[in-house]
Formats: sequence, C-alpha cells, structure tokens
Amino acid sequence: MDATAVDLRGAGGLLLRRRLFDYLGWGLSALAFLLLGGAMLWILLVVFRRGVGALTPTLITQVTQGTGGGLLNAIQGTLVLATGGLLLAVPPGLAAGIYLAEFDHGPWAPTIRFLSDVLVGVPSIVIGYFSYVTMVVGLGWKFSVAAGSVALAIISLPYICRTSEMAIRQVPRAMREAAYALGASDGTVARTVYLPMALPGILTGVLLALAISVGETAPLLYTAGWSNYLWTGHLTNEPIGYLTYAIWAFITEPFASAHALAYAAAFLVTLFVLVLSILSRLALDQNAGWRRRRS
Amino acid sequence: MPFTFSPRSAETGMGRSPHGPQSLPGIDTKPVSLPDSPSGLQRKETILPPLRKTVSVLTRRSIVMGGLFALTLAAGAMTGTRTLQAAGTVNILETGSSLLYPLFNLWVPAYTKINPGTRITTQSTGSGTGIAQAVEGIAQIGASDAYMSDALMKMHQGMLNIPLAISVQMVNYNLPGLNQRHLKLSGPVVAGIYQGRITKWNDPAISALNPGVALPARSIIPLHRTDGSGDTFIFTQYLSFSTPAWANSVSYGTTVSWPAVSGGLGAVGNPGMVTALKDNPYAIAYIGTSYQNAIEKDGLGIAMLKNRDGHFVLPDARTAAAAAAIMVPKTPKDQRVSLIFAPGAESYPIINYEYVMVNRKQPSAGMAAALRKFFNWAIRADGGNAPHFMNEVHFVPLPAPVVKLSAAQIAEIQ
Amino acid sequence: MTASLRAATAESGARPRPRRQNRVFTFRRLTALLAGVVPGSLIVIVVFLAIYAWPAVRFNGLGFLADNSWNLGSLYGNPITVRGQQILPGAHYGILFLIAGTLLSTAIALCLAVPIGVGAAMLLAEGVPPVLRSWFSFFVELLAAIPSVVYGLWGYVVVIPFLGHHVYPFMVRWLGFIPFFGGPAGSGYGLLTAGLVLTLMIVPLITATLRDALVTQPATLREAAVALGATRFETLWTVLLPAVRRVLIGSSILATGRALGETMAVLMVSGNALNYLPGNIYTPISTMASFIVSQLDSALQDPTGMAVRSLAEVALVLCLISIVVNSLARFLIYYEGRQSGRAA
Repeated sequence: MDATAVDLRGAGGLLLRRRLFDYLGWGLSALAFLLLGGAMLWILLVVFRRGVGALTPTLITQVTQGTGGGLLNAIQGTLVLATGGLLLAVPPGLAAGIYLAEFDHGPWAPTIRFLSDVLVGVPSIVIGYFSYVTMVVGLGWKFSVAAGSVALAIISLPYICRTSEMAIRQVPRAMREAAYALGASDGTVARTVYLPMALPGILTGVLLALAISVGETAPLLYTAGWSNYLWTGHLTNEPIGYLTYAIWAFITEPFASAHALAYAAAFLVTLFVLVLSILSRLALDQNAGWRRRRS
Repeated sequence: MPFTFSPRSAETGMGRSPHGPQSLPGIDTKPVSLPDSPSGLQRKETILPPLRKTVSVLTRRSIVMGGLFALTLAAGAMTGTRTLQAAGTVNILETGSSLLYPLFNLWVPAYTKINPGTRITTQSTGSGTGIAQAVEGIAQIGASDAYMSDALMKMHQGMLNIPLAISVQMVNYNLPGLNQRHLKLSGPVVAGIYQGRITKWNDPAISALNPGVALPARSIIPLHRTDGSGDTFIFTQYLSFSTPAWANSVSYGTTVSWPAVSGGLGAVGNPGMVTALKDNPYAIAYIGTSYQNAIEKDGLGIAMLKNRDGHFVLPDARTAAAAAAIMVPKTPKDQRVSLIFAPGAESYPIINYEYVMVNRKQPSAGMAAALRKFFNWAIRADGGNAPHFMNEVHFVPLPAPVVKLSAAQIAEIQ
Repeated sequence: MTASLRAATAESGARPRPRRQNRVFTFRRLTALLAGVVPGSLIVIVVFLAIYAWPAVRFNGLGFLADNSWNLGSLYGNPITVRGQQILPGAHYGILFLIAGTLLSTAIALCLAVPIGVGAAMLLAEGVPPVLRSWFSFFVELLAAIPSVVYGLWGYVVVIPFLGHHVYPFMVRWLGFIPFFGGPAGSGYGLLTAGLVLTLMIVPLITATLRDALVTQPATLREAAVALGATRFETLWTVLLPAVRRVLIGSSILATGRALGETMAVLMVSGNALNYLPGNIYTPISTMASFIVSQLDSALQDPTGMAVRSLAEVALVLCLISIVVNSLARFLIYYEGRQSGRAA
C-alpha cells in the first residue's frame, strides 16, 4: 500500500498525461458523434423544412403535369413497384432463409449464403442496366411495372434472406426437436413451429427491403421509366412514375414548381423510410426483449 | 389472431399424441427435464407470455400495415382504372430533347383539353435518349434536335424524322459587368475556347472581335453537355462548318469527345447548363432558346455570333427566319437536313429543325391514329405552331413548304 | 415407436402419406430450389454481363483500364471495321479517369469514415448510458437508411454552394501548401464533395458493427484492464479496440464496397468529368456507377453497338471489383469467426 502511494505521488506528470489523453480521446469521440448527428440533423432540417413548405393538398390529389401539378401518380407508382418487388422477393428470400437456417448440411447452404452476401454488394445501377438489356429491350417489356419490380426484387433478395435466416435461427432447437419427435414433416414444422415464432424478425427484413425499394432510383430509371398518369393496371408496356424520379429530375429544372415537387417528393420518401426504420427497430427491440429476459 | 401459440394449436396437423395432451413436451405442463435439450424447456414460462405478446402485437401490426398497403393499392388501382375510360384512351410517352421539353409542356395541356382520350407523358432526357428510346419502341415519340445519322437510318428503316418547329440556339456567357452588352464571338474563336487554345477572356482573338470592351484577364470555363444532346449536335456542327480544325479533330454528334480543357465542366440538360452558367462566373455555354427567359431572368449574357457572310447577329425571330428562308428550300423529302451556318447577311448561324422520331409502323391502329392527330395539330398554325406557343419559347413556326413535307411524313404513320 | 405412430395417425383418420425419403418434392428440396433464385440471380447477372461485354473486351483490350479517352467516335460517320469489330471511326474506349475517380472518392471516404466511425462507436459503446445507447445508435444508423438520391438533393441544394463559396476558397488559402489541396477552388462540384457525402453514407456501417463488437467483448477483458488501473478510455484504446481489429477491417471493407457502388448521390455532386484525371481534390470527377447512368442513352446512339457493350464492360469491371471487395470482407469475418471459435 505504501509503495503504491509513493509511486502515485512521484508519477504526477504521468497522471496528467494520461488524464489529458483521456479528455482528448473522449473529446474526439464526442466530436465524431456530433459531426454525424449534426449532418443527420442538417439533412433532416433541409428536407423537412423545404418539403413541408411545398406540401399542398393538390400534391396528393393531382398527377404531375409537365413540371408542375402533383405527385399522386408518383406516390401510387412507388407503392405499386415496392409491392411488386416484395411479392417477387419474399418467397425466394424466405425459402433461402429457411434453407440456410434449417438445412445447413453440405455445400449448397454455404454457397447460397456467400453468394447472397456478395449480391448485397452489387451496385444497383448494374442490376438496372442488366434489367434494361434483358427485360426492357430483350424481352420487349419496354418500361413497365414488371421490369421495375424484378429489378427491385433482385436488390431486396439478399436482405430478406439474411434477416429471415437470423430470425429463424433464434427459435430454440427444442421446439423443432419436439415437433420432429412427434412425427411432423419438415413442412409442418416450418408452418407451425418456427415460422410463426420467427415472424417478427422476418417482418423486420421485409420492412428493411421495403425501405430500400422506396429509396431506389438508378435501377428504376431504366426499367420503370416515368409516367405523368396513374397506373392502368398493365404489367408490361406501360411506364409508371415513382417518387425518387421526381427528386432527381425536377431539382435540375429552372422552375419553382418543379423544385416544389422535388422537395415534396424528397420529404415523402424520407418520412416513409424513417417511419419504416423506426417500426423495424421497435420490432427488433421487442423481439430482443423476450430473448434477453430468458438469458 | 391466427398465430396465438396455444396448446391446442400445437396439436393441429400432428394428430393426437398417444400419450394425451398432458405429456406434450414443453407445452403447458410441469417442466420436464430432458438432459439433452436444456435450452428451451425449463424456461418455457419466461418464453411463452412475452412471445405470445410479441407475436400478437407484431402480427397485429403487420396485419394493419398489410391492410393499409392493400387499401392504398386498391385505391390506386381503382382511381387508375376509373380514369381509364373506354377503349379509346391512348397512352403516349414522349421523351428526349430538353430544348423541345418546354414547348411540349405547353402543348400537352392544350391538346389534351380538346382530346381527352390521349394521355401524353413528357420527359426531358436529352435528344440522345429520345432517339434511342424511339428506335426501340420504348417511347412513342422521341424528341430530338438532331436528325438520325445515315447509319442509324439504315439500321432502323422504319423511323421517321418529322420536324415540328424551328428552334434556335444561343451561345451564353457569364461575365460580371459585361452580361448586358452582347459580346461578339465567331465559330473559330469558340472552337478555340472549347479546344483549350484560347484560355483567357482577354485573349487577343476575342479582343479583336470586341474592340473597346474591357475584357477581364480570367480563365474561361467552357461548359458542355454530358448527356446525349441535340444541342451538342447543332453546336458542334456550327463549330465544324466554321472551323476546319474542329471538323478534322472533334467533328459533330450528339455526343463528342470534348477536348480536355482545364476547368471545363459538364452539365446535364439545358436546365443544368443554365444553372452551371449562373453558378460559375467567367463560364461560356451553349443553351437552347427555349430557356432564353431563364437566361434573361438570371442576368446572363447572350453572344452575337458571326455568320457565314461575316456579320454579327443576335438570336431572335428575325435572324432565325432569315436563315430559315434560305435553308428551307434545301429540305429533302425525309427532312433530314442541317440548317446550320446559313448564308445570308441577316442569317443566324445556329438554327435547326425540332424533330420527333416516330416509327412508321405502330403496334395498333388506335395508337397510329392518335399520333397522326397530335402531330397534325402540332404543325398547324392554329394548333401547335400558333404564335402564343412559339413566342413563349422563342421558336420559329414551320414555313409552309415544310409543313407540307411534315404532313406527308405524318401520313405514313400506320 | 413407429408402429404406434402409424397406429396413431390411422386412428386420427389422417391420410397415410409415403415416407419422406420416397417423395420427390420434399419440403427440403423445394426450399433448396426456391432458395437457388438468390445465388442464381447473381450468377445470371455476372455471366450475362460477361457475355454481352465480350466483343467490347476483345476490342478494347487492356488499354481499357489504362487509357483516358472515352470517345464514341464520329456518330454521324459510317461504321468501319477495326480489329474484327464494327465501330464508328475514331471510337476508342479507355476508363482510367473513371477508375481514378471511383478509387479516389472511395479512398477519401474511407480515410474520413474510419476515424469518425471508430470515435462514434467508442462513444456509443462506453460513453453513453445504456438507456440512451440504443436510441443514439439508431440516430446514427438512420444516416445509412436515407436514400442516395436524397443525399444528392441535399448535396446539390445546400452543400455545394456552401462548400464552393465558403469552405473551399478558405481551404485553398490556408491549406494550399499541402499537395493536392491547392489550386483552383472549383465550384463545389468535385472529388472532395463526393468523398464527404460518401463518408456520411458509409460511416453508420462501421459504427454499428464496431459498437456491437465492442459491447459484446467479454467483461473479463475490461475488468483486467481496470484492475491494472486503466481509465475507461484507455481500456477502449489499448485493450478493446485491438481485440476487435478484425471486425473493424471487415466492416471497413464492407463500407468500401458500398461506397464503390453509390450512384445517385455521386452523380449529383461530383461534376461529371470526362477524359481527364483530377488535378486537386476540388476537381470534378466521374465514378463508374455514375458514368453508366449518365452515358447509357448516349451510348445507345451508336449504331454498331460497341458503345453499349463498352458500358457493359464498365458495369462488369465495377461488378467484379465489388464482388472481390465483398468476398474479401466475408472471408475476413468468416476467418475471424473460425479463429475465435477455435480459441474459445
């Protein structure tokens, strides 16, 4: 004890240096966090202030007329394309998640997992270019809901696959063992044991894919085109509008009405993505809550 | 709530266990210790209630979201189909030239008011896109300031290049203090600027054309279009026709390999050029006359260009009409001709036909009829070529012989 | 057991079904088949791009990666045949400026994102009360959720005027002695702006993974450091961060992958350079992804199709680069998992 006291008193300089290092370190970390928080707030402020300023009732009731008008066609188009993308992506993605979580013996599962993770990294413009050459031109679909949905589906697939795999893995093995012990088949076990229990996690993945689909622009530029009118129900040979196009195309036009459309579209898209992120975060927290309680 | 985890539902689909419901492991009975699965069973009390709540809450949420979705979709589809009247409704996609875009945006509301069965969507994407998508059939109308090349016409023999109006291109600059006077520039000087041979505003070549003007000793920032652009086509044609050095190296096209000039910037679309010119003092750009109002509002300069006869002229209705009067008689039947660098004392050197690219064979008779009707309206002096449309965008209406030629091409759309 | 089970199913009236092994369409096989869509789409995309771009690869050769000239040739001239391919006269495709633009903007983004990400992760892991941790982290992760085009809008409308008129001239004046920091301050569109926007988009990836890794480090490590007298920050700096080094590298590589493929935000703030390399950090650049978007329609004008195939070659190069980067990251993370598994 005495030795320690002597050491400390003699090492006053060292203590000061360590304290300074401490303050510097925390200071810089706080600065980093504040930079990020500040940038986030700046973006939200710009988008919300200009977007709310541009929100008028005509925006949601009228369709786009040239560089003015409203965004009804774009809002509808975004919803249609996102739904189409999800409809095409959820079955294969969920199947991949189930396969990776349940039947992870042999080489096929690691291959799927690895290639799925690589697919996440493929730039969306490459997928858009590919869709343009194969579907829009090659198959003759022209700008269409079908081509846009397929492009969005390819982009969403790995996210749904990964999140549903993680969600299904969380389900305790004992449940499955119990069901198998009673003679249930694979399909029955899936349907009655782990899929219902993994549903919150799977939904989180679906919400994530939805948020990504709503925010995509580059692939849709070359697959969905743009339309000033509401969708008439054709899956091919008819272009459709979407909110992100309005942001991209109208901000460069020198007309105030066009800028208003761009800000309003940015506001709607950002709001939608934020709400989806908060929802999926809440779902994840709730889901994690019961797991935390059991450990 | 379909997914409530109850003992009863655990039994469905599995048949009744021979040992009775009490001994179904893990469900609603006293804890059974199985040595090899310690994970879930002893703690079933802690798992089930929060799980049930989680699943039910989230399922409720998911059902609500799904319902909202389906509702919006149904609403959207219904409004969509409600506006889809009888089989007479035709959807036309027009894409392409940013120079023609403001005019199309004036035409569409006026036309659809008298023809409610035709729905025309307009896009400003550049003449290159207009040609490309019209050729593929992705867009029904491809607007372009540039006619199609011989090679493209040979590949796609069914395409028609139909002029709907005559437009003009300005050369603009942003010189603080000098934007109100119209600087005099010539083809060789502008070519020198874009090739990097003339780098400063007070270069002797520019001073020689503008005696008495105090030009600043600043670097010139040449702006060019990065997208496939009809404006690039007519601008580079002007440079090629007036300057052999340019014709032999860069030549003309909707996209050219711009010589690398330090400080040169690219912009997308005519609006992008206007914005870039406004944001960059000492820049020079080529912009279509449909944006003249924006240029004047921003206080930017319009140059006087030296025409073939050596006179310096401003881009306005008079000089454009003068050039048109001389070049129009040379128009062939397929109307693919350049009006650039016209001879004549009053001729403005950069004028061009505004084309729409249309396929001769349309997928349906209804579409063909709708297109023919629209184009015939557009070229008429009491329809699209009316003064109040033309003056708004500073275009020149089609002269009568050209109207006849266009009408002949329009009649070929079947 | 089986006999009584069969008896049980018979008793409940269930239809006797063939044994699982005898059925063709088992659940396992069906899921495997449907799951194959995921890797299948990746393989289809890469193979298709490779086949479609093959004529361009043959024509362009290795000069594609080394030359600085993207030239469609004389669009209104007549096609000629060079090296066995039909092209327009004067056509030559070289994308060195694209590769430079992509790598430089990603490098700047990485240099800025790693320190900021590590700092924010340290603060979130240790410096914030656990109650607030989840919501503060969520706030940072929202940066990754905002769509690319909204970043482009924000950049185009407020950041570029701010940087071009206020920050860059200031930087040129005071930091101009550093190589590449001097020279004309430009207009705000350029390499540094693109790098800054990319930084904001990729930092959350690093922060989130690193924070999770720091939080789940075993308490024994922390306790040992504290027992030796380390402050909280010293624990982080000298003990915990080195322990998660591989996670940091892996997530940085993943973030690089994301930055390489960013399209819309870069398209709206980078200035769209053509055929020249940047002379300083304020100069306009083009990245491969933004180039594809801005040039696709011009390329479609080429009647010989060589321009479109060269664009497909650009897409292929981009795809291959991002595949390599992603595979490296996955391999590192997998390797790290194996290491810790063996050590445990």
